[in-house]
Amino acid sequence: MGNYDVIVIGAGHNGLVAAAYLAKGGRRVLVLERQDRVGGAAVTEELFPGFHFSTCADGGGYLSPEVRRDLALDSNGLKIHAADPVVFAPQPDGSHLTIWRDTARTAKEIEAFSKKDAARYPDFVALMQKLAGVVGGLMRIAPPDLPELAWGDLRSLVKLAGPLRKLGRKNLNELLRVLPMPVADLLNEWFESEVLKGAIAASGVRNITWGPQEAGTAYTLLYDWALSDTGLFRSAGVVSGGMGALTKTIAQAARSFGVEIQTGAGVERVAIEEGRAVGVQLENGEAHTAKVIASNADPRTTFTRLVDPLIQSAKLARHVRNIKYRGSAARIHLALREIPEFNALRGGDTATYLSGPIQISPSMMYLQRAYDCVKYGEYSQKPYLDILIPSLSDPTLAPSGQHVMSITAKFAPNELRVGDWAERREAFTEVVLDTLAEYAPKIRDVIAHRKTLVPPDLEAEFGLPEGNPNHGEMTLDQFFHMRPIPGYARYRTPFPGLYLCGAGAHPGGGVTGIPGQNAAREILRDWS
Amino acid sequence: MTQEYDAIIIGGGHNGLTCAAYLAKAGRKTLVLERRHVLGGAAVSEEVFPGFTFTVCSYVVSLLRPEVIRELELAKHGLHIMPVDSTVAPLENGDYFATYADEASTREEIRRHSHRDAEMAPKFTQMMYEMAFAVKPIIGVVPPNPEKPGIRGLGTMKELGQHLHGLGKDTLHELTKIMTMSVADFVEEWYESDILKALASLNGIIGTLLGPKSPGTAYVLLHHYMGELDGAFTAWGQQKGGTGGVSEAIASAARSHGAEIRCNAPVAQVIVKNGRAVGVALENGDEIYAKTIASGCDPKVTFRTLVDEKELPDDLVAAIDKFKYRGSSGKVNLALDALPNFTAIKDPALLRGSVEICPSMDYLERAYDDASYGGFSERPYMDISIPTTSDPTMAPPGKHVMSIFVQYARYDMAKHGTHDEQRQAFGDAVINTLSDFAPNIKDIILHKQVLTPWDIEDKIALTEGNIFQGELTLDQLFFFRPAPGWADYRTPIRNYYQCGSGTHPGGGITAGPGRLAALEILRDGN
Repeated sequence: MGNYDVIVIGAGHNGLVAAAYLAKGGRRVLVLERQDRVGGAAVTEELFPGFHFSTCADGGGYLSPEVRRDLALDSNGLKIHAADPVVFAPQPDGSHLTIWRDTARTAKEIEAFSKKDAARYPDFVALMQKLAGVVGGLMRIAPPDLPELAWGDLRSLVKLAGPLRKLGRKNLNELLRVLPMPVADLLNEWFESEVLKGAIAASGVRNITWGPQEAGTAYTLLYDWALSDTGLFRSAGVVSGGMGALTKTIAQAARSFGVEIQTGAGVERVAIEEGRAVGVQLENGEAHTAKVIASNADPRTTFTRLVDPLIQSAKLARHVRNIKYRGSAARIHLALREIPEFNALRGGDTATYLSGPIQISPSMMYLQRAYDCVKYGEYSQKPYLDILIPSLSDPTLAPSGQHVMSITAKFAPNELRVGDWAERREAFTEVVLDTLAEYAPKIRDVIAHRKTLVPPDLEAEFGLPEGNPNHGEMTLDQFFHMRPIPGYARYRTPFPGLYLCGAGAHPGGGVTGIPGQNAAREILRDWS
Repeated sequence: MTQEYDAIIIGGGHNGLTCAAYLAKAGRKTLVLERRHVLGGAAVSEEVFPGFTFTVCSYVVSLLRPEVIRELELAKHGLHIMPVDSTVAPLENGDYFATYADEASTREEIRRHSHRDAEMAPKFTQMMYEMAFAVKPIIGVVPPNPEKPGIRGLGTMKELGQHLHGLGKDTLHELTKIMTMSVADFVEEWYESDILKALASLNGIIGTLLGPKSPGTAYVLLHHYMGELDGAFTAWGQQKGGTGGVSEAIASAARSHGAEIRCNAPVAQVIVKNGRAVGVALENGDEIYAKTIASGCDPKVTFRTLVDEKELPDDLVAAIDKFKYRGSSGKVNLALDALPNFTAIKDPALLRGSVEICPSMDYLERAYDDASYGGFSERPYMDISIPTTSDPTMAPPGKHVMSIFVQYARYDMAKHGTHDEQRQAFGDAVINTLSDFAPNIKDIILHKQVLTPWDIEDKIALTEGNIFQGELTLDQLFFFRPAPGWADYRTPIRNYYQCGSGTHPGGGITAGPGRLAALEILRDGN
């Protein structure tokens, strides 16, 4: 049993990134993972013989380029295929809108729906890129502990100087105005085509349990925009080998810096002595001491299970209890004998059009109605579908000539008001397939196997409370200096020596590595 | 061209009258021009049917700024607010929930529904007072322009910064939540009883096309707490004679300082010469000149109707065109032969207060959904008052007037046909829903007036029927109200000012915009 400087609880991607940075900074780091594999929610699983799926997290294009470079992930074997189109959006009438990486090419596509919108699209992209630049800058600092600004904050605020200069003074008001808006209002100011607005608005609601009419969804749009590898409102990166390959690569990089990783080593408790975190007790009875403990678990798990609730203040307990999780996305995995034909692509270049994200989000009202059901504890009868067929980019994921399709289906509540998921999971899957069949009528004929994970399944299998992959909703009241709880948004906790390094901390979810990177920086800053 | 007046105020709504009163008080020769035959704008009482007087649009008073009451000595001019002494919500299971003027009875009633909530209620109220105190200084200042704050704006920001700093972290955190959350989530952190949560949410949705689960509504709730400060009022109140009485009191104060007020004098256009406002042209062709012109109308009327587009910079025109109104409420005024008989309300004294048709949180949210898809709520939320129970002079002996504020009704109800058909269908939905709770209602209606948002726009000139002259959403508050760079009551046209609810601090019978605008006009030496 060695003595470690830092113990990281959980080998999810953020835990691994934090560990790698800490080791790179000269610390002796041990990562403890309850599961028998690394990756947390970013894993690849062979759900059916020969068919490999990114079971939970998807979306490989959000990884911070800085993390990728600092941890030398490419030389460790990371391969992310830059899919183009960024969105293929088939419509109920058999037409389709395609968003390409190239703005001019997209504008040409938009012309089929609105000449006016086509003309405005490049200006919209240019402005949003500027706004997203500032949001991206904010993601990379520890939020100041408002209202008290410390000297250290000034140092980090300097990082915003560049993006703010690019934004220009003239657009400062626009940024302040847009951030709290509903994405629907924002898009209505710019565009008239429902098809275009539906395609973009999906990025405002993909990671949240809200419809596009909800205030704050313009922020979630900018969040995706700030992180994506496309310079647009969503990423289109497909990781070779699935999301598990990404986390395995980070683990490999971490090990190369000297990190020790133990799997099958569930932490039972963080040992707290005189208010200070001093080590961990494992479920198998072992114990380790360390100067710093960094929890990659979500804040609810961290404060209600890993830290003894009895030693916490009533205020902390109340704040933790009030964190909204509310997962509302189901994952449906299909093993396909062949690619199904889409009405919108008869005679078209199927392999190209389907190689990136496919969205069933034909209008903002469609998304809104899909959401409205969860307000009453019911799943959508016409869900928003976000589909990826990664085997078109990486054929090794499926047996030769066959394919894997993963669908994120929204909205499905964590808790049903009528019945329970055990009895209604299949019915929901049928709803999803019915919806998909409106665009690809023969989908059922090509399915070899299928598996559905609803929010409680994601909680059971991946330890995500209420099935929320972001460790807490990405709403305005749980953002920046409020994330994960007010007063502790700087990766530190009420217990000196205990830090948070997961998606529950600023800036939030997505396979970005940024919370882990930020946490490592703050830990090292506190070290001396 | 001779200047007959120092200042002309367009619109005799309560904010226009307030602005006029302050200017007159400062010695300016002031003229108010009102389009209609009555004063008050949306705060107006009218004898709609012979013998029956209604507060036609707005219906309760609680937000009136205490400094306005003090500085204009409104009590002397007839302001007389009678507290609403109870609130009762009949439930769908035949039970009810009520609050009373007397705290102990309220607590007893809450305990009947939830012991825990009875403990929480005073804490919740205390917290809301603290929040209202926290934002109070913001309500009273002229918003700076973040892009070009100038020395004065920097001064304002510094003062606000110091104030916020002084509040401490906990308050600031709570304030962040209240500025961004949905009212449903916000009250969820406090209460467990569904009916208590629903009632606590109501003030978060009034006047907005948002449901209780829509983020941003917690702020609207806070907005409705502002008036309860300073002990000027301890509760929501009703003005004797209807809310028109508030406008009358302000008008009386204005007249006492020498202001002249003309009704039936619709303004067609502001006369602009070389970038300066010099007077107004009435619809009848008369021209009246003055040094200063202030518009109490909403931003669309102020900038897009009363002045020519070429007088304004493009970015302002674009911002004004983006400004969201989305009226969400209608009004049904009933002349009744007798008191209605609410199945769930056994104590007739409760009819002296307000009756809320809001039996559950889901009921409210579904009412919103209907409007969100385009139309009106099939089963709407209703805030009912029967002012004749405390002021019998509003109707003939033995008869009653019932004023029903109804939400949601969308401005654009295209799927329901013509305006007349829409009004008919909307009125039917209201009466049908009401008869579920008060079965005798259909038998006792003598007259019925139904106002859709379209009617409110038509009658009161409130764009899209929005009672706040523009939605109170975060992107339309403070330095964005009504447009970035033009939130300081000025306009790009010299000597032309804004003084309506479309400016900071926004809607409700607050008189805040009118007062702040007058102070800015005087500050400019006009």
